Amino acid sequence: MRNSDSSLFAIFLAAVLTWNVSFSQDLTHPLDMDLPSSNFQRPDPVDYLLAMDNGLVAYIASAKQVPLVTLSAFIKAGKASDAQQGAAEVLLDALKNAGPSDSSPAEFKRLLRHMTARYTVDMHDEWMEISLNVPTEDLDAALPLFAAVIQSPALSSESIDKFASNRGSSGSDLGGESGPALYEGSLGAAVDKFYEVLYDGHPFGSKPTAEDFAKLELEDVRKFHSDYFVPGNMTLAVAGDIDYRSIETALSDLFGEMEFRDSPAPANVPGIRRANSRQHTLPAKKLQSWLVFGHDLPRVPVDDQAALEVMNYILAGGHLYTRMTVETRYKYGYTNDASGFLEDRWFGPGSYTFRSYSRPEVIKPIYDNMMNEIYRIRRELVSDEDLFIAKGALTDGTFQLQYLDGYSTVRNFAIERLRYGNHTRSSTYIERIRSVTAEDVRDAANKYIEPDQMQVILVGEPVELLN
Amino acid sequence: MRTLRNIVVGFCLMAPVLVVAQDDTYDLPIKEHVFENGLRLLVIERPGNNRVVSKIFTDMGALNETPGQYGSAHFLEHLMFKGTPTLGSEDWERESQIQSEIQATENALEEALNRARNELRERGVFHDYQHAESTPEIDALRSRISALNAQALELNNEGPMKKWYQAFGGTRLTATTEQEYMKFDLDLPADRVDLFLRVEADRMENSVFRNFDAERMILVEQRLGDLNRNETSFREAMNSLVGRVSMVYVPEGYANDFGQYTRRYQEELYRTYFVPNNTTLIFIGDVTLDDMIPRVERYFGHMERRPEPARYQAREPLPSAEKRLTWRSDTLSPRIDIRYQIPGVGHPDRPQIEVLAAVLEPYLQEAMTDAQIAGTVTINTRVVHTSRFGVPASLNFELIVGNADQLDAAEALILGELAALSVDSVKAEDVALARKMLRTEWYRIAADPNALAFEIGHFQVMDNWRALRPYLLARDRTTADDIVRLGKTYFVANNRSVGVVRPGEAGQ
Repeated sequence: MRNSDSSLFAIFLAAVLTWNVSFSQDLTHPLDMDLPSSNFQRPDPVDYLLAMDNGLVAYIASAKQVPLVTLSAFIKAGKASDAQQGAAEVLLDALKNAGPSDSSPAEFKRLLRHMTARYTVDMHDEWMEISLNVPTEDLDAALPLFAAVIQSPALSSESIDKFASNRGSSGSDLGGESGPALYEGSLGAAVDKFYEVLYDGHPFGSKPTAEDFAKLELEDVRKFHSDYFVPGNMTLAVAGDIDYRSIETALSDLFGEMEFRDSPAPANVPGIRRANSRQHTLPAKKLQSWLVFGHDLPRVPVDDQAALEVMNYILAGGHLYTRMTVETRYKYGYTNDASGFLEDRWFGPGSYTFRSYSRPEVIKPIYDNMMNEIYRIRRELVSDEDLFIAKGALTDGTFQLQYLDGYSTVRNFAIERLRYGNHTRSSTYIERIRSVTAEDVRDAANKYIEPDQMQVILVGEPVELLN
Repeated sequence: MRTLRNIVVGFCLMAPVLVVAQDDTYDLPIKEHVFENGLRLLVIERPGNNRVVSKIFTDMGALNETPGQYGSAHFLEHLMFKGTPTLGSEDWERESQIQSEIQATENALEEALNRARNELRERGVFHDYQHAESTPEIDALRSRISALNAQALELNNEGPMKKWYQAFGGTRLTATTEQEYMKFDLDLPADRVDLFLRVEADRMENSVFRNFDAERMILVEQRLGDLNRNETSFREAMNSLVGRVSMVYVPEGYANDFGQYTRRYQEELYRTYFVPNNTTLIFIGDVTLDDMIPRVERYFGHMERRPEPARYQAREPLPSAEKRLTWRSDTLSPRIDIRYQIPGVGHPDRPQIEVLAAVLEPYLQEAMTDAQIAGTVTINTRVVHTSRFGVPASLNFELIVGNADQLDAAEALILGELAALSVDSVKAEDVALARKMLRTEWYRIAADPNALAFEIGHFQVMDNWRALRPYLLARDRTTADDIVRLGKTYFVANNRSVGVVRPGEAGQ
């Protein structure tokens, strides 16, 4: 056996190491393959648009590949929008679990189950998304149900009481081994802790307490709903196995009676006052340690967006070929992942974080190598190859994916319209990315990353990182 | 606007759950071409999509590993991202000499380690004993390998199997190795599909396993990530309690083995399984079969058919006794895991078992509620990440119980309900609703070309892609009688493995 193994191996080694591959194999380098230039055209939002008399806008796409339909609503309001703390959380609970006001939660759940529906409600700090995906055979029942949940959710004092009694005993325990987050993967715990530090005393960091729920009145929740669930503050997206005209009629029937009202004025969200770099260690006896560091991200003007995205992609843009991945994973095998996350919020300060995890003994070199890359991209111009890869990935990759099918197209248009009021950003995106220069990248790194003002969260075995 | 009460009445009158699937419900316009060298090409043409989902499946995985090398198939997947002579080297002529020297030194190290082991005559009998003793020769060889790797690194362009995909708009660049397959995935503009063919053909034939030791540590990281999850060790103990096939071969491997991987063994796997007649290419998007045939021929046509790789002979012996595991833990919630061995895809009962699970999950949840036992019931067929196998696996009833004092009552209740399954307890409308649920899940998969391409490839390695549609149709034809029959066949004591998690520190 050993002899045959050796023979096999010798043949293989001879083939690979002397590059003695078959002459007929086409090994043209990708750059020399004459791959066609991109001819991608972003779809025109007008082709999907339904603007109702009451100001409500919907985007509709017909895609008949499978007998499914998705209905989505996007509302410009979230956990940081409620005047009375806790109103958003109670409304979220009602939207998720209670259904429309003229029904019981049990009936609502039974209907969803019989439709084999996928129903989700996601509430962020500044906006929310409600989606219902059903087989076409159930569309006639799903449409009015969807409209009823949005326009008239079942709000009750019992729901407030439930929150008031539950909240008193909750709270994540990051300091010890008993917190559930620590046991089931602690990157999430480290990210949560980062937000806690970043948004300490800020509206985005405010979480309702048991006392807030005790003070909360049903009327506060109703007012939150009636202020924000209005035609001017909401967009809809419908896609799937539909007849465009029928949906147009159904949406007009179901949502056309909503009274015209514009978006409430956005809250004046303050910025973040930065502090010098500081490490926050949460000791945990685990096999790995988790690292999150970064600072706030001020609201990004459209003129800066492209350079910032290109810079982040080169530096740390995901679980791909990036500078941070090369200098931590590819070369040294330190970690499975080292990535950067730009979180640009709608009205207030977002965050820019860098995240990794590994066995405790290499956390320090990971941090050092990630920081070295931050210093390098602030100091040196990126190469033409760096720019080529990042621009191609953003314009021909992730941007195209946003318009991959009918649903992703109308969903993106609905969110863009709600956030910006127009589609200028998406119509100019490719052009803006393509015009980014190496100098723009360096400027963006210097403007949006401040290496001396990082809040560094370490969950796991304590180790000094900042020196 | 209609009220919800109108909706409910209307919905009940429609009786939607009784809708029966049409004959064309699962029509899959898959076009196939098998090349002379055995390479299989499958295409679903979706004109106007602009992009194309591309996958390459190899019929090998953790099941093909030998003891002491568990996880090596997954490691091979990592090594196949390290490039080729034409992708990833600044100067292959110089680098190839260094790589050759690395290989020779690694061979010498392997020999030295074997000699040391044989002299010691002490095997790694316990998990933390791994022949840590060294010799001056071993130390010198290891230092030499590190120095050579550092030299090679100077000549490497990192990330060669990703960055050109990224540059030309490739997304969803993932790879997966499970018990029965390895696959590489890409989604890219359809008119650039040649890039996938060029890179994957090169990867399949000319991979250079650069930076071997550093990449080994990435496996360690991934394994540590698994072990950080509370449930992992319990689930793995349950897997090995149940059977000998898919349940035991954990794709991530076991940490004991990571240090034992050798380039020689990795290359054996690579040369044996990465051959055209063991490979399937799948494309869904704005391409046609007629267009793809010459393109694939251009990049893969020169490859010669090789001896057919052996399949793992995955036969489970007939179960002969009920098995039981008691797991003490203060950090894992009290639970009961009841598992029954089931056949793999290809057996006529397998699709019906999916309907059975969908019927029984709400049924048993209701029984728990009626018995005032606080907890949740989940039924699945998962082993690590995978839920279907072409080899035997298990049907898992997982009960998480709020109060440990109710563990015994919960187990007795579930076993009693399973023993009592009859045409009276399994209602036709519940079976119809379960079928509808599975049908809707399928529509969601079919709507997503990435998910659809995976299903086609997965069926190809489990059985045959042509078995997918009959499988889905068989689910849709399952009746209450079938559910009762399955219960009587599989829910028998000798086929059962039960794990109970109770509070209390585990003894070491």
